[in-house]
Amino acid sequence: MLSYNFKYELKLLLRSRWIQLLSIVLLLLFSFSTYNGLQKVEKRKKDIADAHLEVKENDEMMLKLLDSVERGMQVSASRWTIPTQPMAVGNYHPRVAAMDPQPMTFIATGQGDLFTHYVKPKVSGDDFTLNFAEMTSPVQLLFGSFDLAFVIIYLLPLLIIAFSYNVLSAERESGSLRLLASQPIGIQTWVLQKLGLRFFWLSILVIFTLTLVFFIVGINPFSQVTLFFGLLALVITYMLFWFALTFLVNLWVGSSSKNAVVLLGLWVVFVLLVPSMLNQLGNTLYPMPSRTIMINEMRTLKAEVAERQDEILDNYLRDHPEYAINDSTQFRGFYHRYMASQKLVKEELSPLINAYEDQLKKQQSWVASFKWVSPSIIVQESLNQMAGTSTQDYESFRKQVIAFAGIWREHFLPFLYNNQDFSQNDYADLPKFQYEQKSFATFGVIPILFLISIGLFAVGFLFSNQTKKEGILASN
Amino acid sequence: MPFRGKRSRKTTTINLLLGFIEPSSGSAFINQLNVHENIKATKRFLAYIPENLMLYPNLTAIENLDYFSGIAGKKLSKSQLVDFLEESGLQSDAFEKRISSFSKGMRQKVGIAIALAKDAKVLLLDEPTSGLDPKASNEFGLLLQKLRTKGVATLMATHDLFRAKEVATHIGIMNGGQLKQELVAADITLQELEKAYLNTMEYKELVL
Repeated sequence: MLSYNFKYELKLLLRSRWIQLLSIVLLLLFSFSTYNGLQKVEKRKKDIADAHLEVKENDEMMLKLLDSVERGMQVSASRWTIPTQPMAVGNYHPRVAAMDPQPMTFIATGQGDLFTHYVKPKVSGDDFTLNFAEMTSPVQLLFGSFDLAFVIIYLLPLLIIAFSYNVLSAERESGSLRLLASQPIGIQTWVLQKLGLRFFWLSILVIFTLTLVFFIVGINPFSQVTLFFGLLALVITYMLFWFALTFLVNLWVGSSSKNAVVLLGLWVVFVLLVPSMLNQLGNTLYPMPSRTIMINEMRTLKAEVAERQDEILDNYLRDHPEYAINDSTQFRGFYHRYMASQKLVKEELSPLINAYEDQLKKQQSWVASFKWVSPSIIVQESLNQMAGTSTQDYESFRKQVIAFAGIWREHFLPFLYNNQDFSQNDYADLPKFQYEQKSFATFGVIPILFLISIGLFAVGFLFSNQTKKEGILASN
Repeated sequence: MPFRGKRSRKTTTINLLLGFIEPSSGSAFINQLNVHENIKATKRFLAYIPENLMLYPNLTAIENLDYFSGIAGKKLSKSQLVDFLEESGLQSDAFEKRISSFSKGMRQKVGIAIALAKDAKVLLLDEPTSGLDPKASNEFGLLLQKLRTKGVATLMATHDLFRAKEVATHIGIMNGGQLKQELVAADITLQELEKAYLNTMEYKELVL
C-alpha cells in the first residue's frame, strides 16, 4: 500500500499545486524572516562598533590631554575631567562591555529586543544600577519580531494545519472514502501513510528552502554544521508533533470544518495561550522586587553612609595598609571616601540583590518545570539558545559585565589611594572586556519531543475506536 | 439478487456486508467468513460500487484503477490495466483523461474495472443504474451478465424493476429492514414483479 500511496500522493499533491504553493510560501517566509534577522544582527554589530569607535576617539583625546599635561602645558579642559586623575579616566573614559552576536543569532531575536548589547560600567557606578534594559517600542514587543523562530513556531504549524486538516474528512465528503474502505486496508494505516507522506514532503521542502535561503543571504550553513543540523532536526521534530496532532484530529473529529476549528484551537492553546499563561503565572507567583524600592533603599543607605564617611575611610585604610605606606602626601578627598563607602553600600545591599536574583531563578525554574506543557516553548527556548539570545545568554552577559565593572573599579583603586597620577604609560594596562561566549544550545529536547510525537501517533492508533469509523463510513 | 423498497435499509444491508457497521443482532457471512470478525479478509473477496461512485478527480482512469488495485495489494502492469478498462467497456480515449471530466456511467465502468482487477467473487452494487441514460443502463446490465458468467455473485440494490428482471436470477423485496418476498426472476413476468412490489409496499402502509 505504501508504494502506491507514495506514488499517487505525490501526483495528487503536484496536480493540486500544494507542493508548488508550499515551496513558494516557505521560500518567501524563510527568506523574509532570515533577512529581517540579519538586519537586526547588522544593527547590533553597528551599535557595538559605533560604541567602540566613540571610545577610541575619546581615548585619542585623552592621550593628547595627558601628553599636554605631562609636558606641563596649559589645557582648556575642566579640572575634574583631566585624565591625570584616575577617577576621571574611570568615569569619563569607560570601556565598552559588548555582547557580540553569534553566528546563528539571526534565527531568533529572543531576549535581544529587551536587553542592550553593550554597557559602559563606570568606576563610581553601582553594579545594580547598570541598566541592561533596552529602549523598545511597546508595539514591537507586543507583536514580536518577524524572525525565523517566529516563522517556525507560529506559522509553520498553521501551514501544516492547512495542509492536512482534512486528509480523511475530504475523502468522506467527496465520497471516495466508501470505495477506499471497501478495500482490504486499515483506515488508520491509510491515514497514517497519507500524513506520513505529507510530513515527508513538507520536511524535504523545509530543508531544501531553508538551505537555499541560507545560501542566498550569504550564510554558509555548513560553517556551523552542528547548529545547522540541530536547527533542522528541531524544526522537523516540531513539525512531527503537529502532524501527530492532525493525525489524532483526523481520526477522532469529523467533518473538515470541525477538524479545522479543533486544530486552530489547539494552535491557539499551544502557541499562544500556554506560553503567555506560564509567563503571567510566573510573574504573579514570583514577582520581581521593585527596582524603585531597591533604588530608594540604596539612597537611604548612601545617606546614612555619607554621615560616617570618615569612619568608613579609616576602617578601609586599616584593612589596606599598603595604601598608607606608598603615599607620602596622605591626601584624602571626596573619591577616597566615596569609593570606600561604595564597597560598604554594596555589601549592605547584597540581600536585596540576592532576593532579586532568587526571584529570577524561581521564575525561570517555574517556566522550566512547566515548559513541557507546550512544545512551542521548548522550541522557542532551543532556538534562542542556538541563536545565543536566550535568557541564560543575557544572564551570563550581565554577570560578566558586573565582574568586569569590579575589575575596572579595582584597577583604579591603587591609583586613587596612592594618590598616583594616571599617565600615558598606564593607558596600555587599562582592563578590556572580552565577552566570553558560552553556548547554551542543547539538543536533548529533540529526542524527547520526537518520542512525544510518536506517542501521540501510537495513541491515535490504539484508541481510534471502531465506533468512530462506523460514524464516518455509515453515512452515505 | 436485486433488492428494493424505499427506506428498506438496503444500504444498511450492504454496509453490514462491508463491515462498515456492526450488526445489532445476527451476523453477515461472505464465503463462510463472519464479516465482523474478519473485516480485512472478507474485503478481499468483494468489490463494491457505491450509489455515487467517487474516484480521485485529479487522477486519470488508469491511475485510479492502478491506485485502488495497488492499495488492495494487486500490482498490475500497464497492459493489464488497459485490458481491465477495456473489459469494463470504457472508451479507450478516456483512459488517460482525468476523472473530473467523467460522467457517472464512465465512473461506474472504472468501478467495474476495479472490481475485475481485484478478481472479486462478490460484487455489491448500490443503485448502480439510477441517473444512467437507457443506453448506459443497458450496457451496464450486459456487463453484469458477463460478470455472472465469470462466476461473480452480485448483490444489487435497486428501484429499477426492469433492470432487476433483466439481470437478476433471484429477486428479494425488502421493506423496513426485512426481506418480505423472494422470487426467482425466470418464473415471473415484469407485470407480476411490479404487482408483488406494490403489494409489499401497501402491506407496509396498512401496518403503519
